[in-house]
Amino acid sequence: MDIAELKDELEKLHSASFGWALNCCRRDHAEAEEVLQTVYLKILEGKARFRGEASLKTWLFAVIRKTAIGEYRKRVVRNLVFLGSSEKPSEAATTAGAPAVIFEKSETQKVFRAALQKLPPRQREALHLVFYQDMSLSEAADVMGISIGSARQHYDRGKKHLREWLSQTETEHGIEWRRKENPGAV
Amino acid sequence: MELSGEEKKIQALFSELKTADEQTAPLFARTWNRAQIAPRRSRVFSFALAGSAILLFGALVSFALWSRYSAGSLPTNVAKENPPKVVNSTPTSNPVTNPTTSGSDKPAPPRRNIAKSPRQRINARHDFAEIADNRKLAQNAKAISDWQSPTADLMNSSSDELFSSLPQLNENASELKSFLPSRPN
Repeated sequence: MDIAELKDELEKLHSASFGWALNCCRRDHAEAEEVLQTVYLKILEGKARFRGEASLKTWLFAVIRKTAIGEYRKRVVRNLVFLGSSEKPSEAATTAGAPAVIFEKSETQKVFRAALQKLPPRQREALHLVFYQDMSLSEAADVMGISIGSARQHYDRGKKHLREWLSQTETEHGIEWRRKENPGAV
Repeated sequence: MELSGEEKKIQALFSELKTADEQTAPLFARTWNRAQIAPRRSRVFSFALAGSAILLFGALVSFALWSRYSAGSLPTNVAKENPPKVVNSTPTSNPVTNPTTSGSDKPAPPRRNIAKSPRQRINARHDFAEIADNRKLAQNAKAISDWQSPTADLMNSSSDELFSSLPQLNENASELKSFLPSRPN
């Protein structure tokens, strides 16, 4: 596959790739964009080469995942070296003014995002790949670099945790909302 | 994959999230173009890295050379003031460890320069071991010769002096000689 052809394919997968990069970067928009840029750079330099062993999407997502992990490690080391001199902008600052702010006003989404962030990374990845990217468990396992059995375990456990968390918070919020709507009610 | 009620709920939440992410996603062209510019930066960075590595290497080499020359140009008095202790006790040791006994007026080289090669170092080590052995042997011999039996005192008596000395009879030696058998001269 030549670079022009690859570029067209990457463009088609761009928004999905960004979503996956966001997931790998704990929903940090700036970091996700940087990771995606690094991935494209790797492809341009030939450091990451598609050999057609898996689907392009699976391969690209695996590269994004690895790059995100590498970038995260670098950042941790950098922060240790400079002892936090380069302060990380707060999440509010990175997303301020973005349409996501409006979207986040949805209480259910807020709770859902918080619940997702509390999940272990592998479980979160498995759920994201299956529900967000519409991948099969086998494809998810390929992206995560684990066996399908392990992927299934992460998926099941993640789903269970998420369900429990959501039902718990739903109950709490439900009582709170009902109180707000009808202050006289117990 | 068939989804149950709970799974459908989760799927709906994920699809909402996806819609939001798609709205905030950066343009492909922008990210791609930035990636195309980035290699130059990385090359510049690698040049800077290589340059600093070369400088560091040069500094290390010059420091090593300087330390070596400064060690080589030690004053010879230091070597004379602190000669090796083993020199006098080993007259048979090899000449490498005995530079001051050559009798010449040339100043002795510093000790650091004596054993340069590993072979010389090994020889020097052998000499030291030999010297130590000799010393030990000498000490043992001295201890044996000085040894006295713990029961030696029992062999002594108060009359020992009488047996080992000439009788004192208030007579001069010439008179005493008269008792001795006459010897023809």
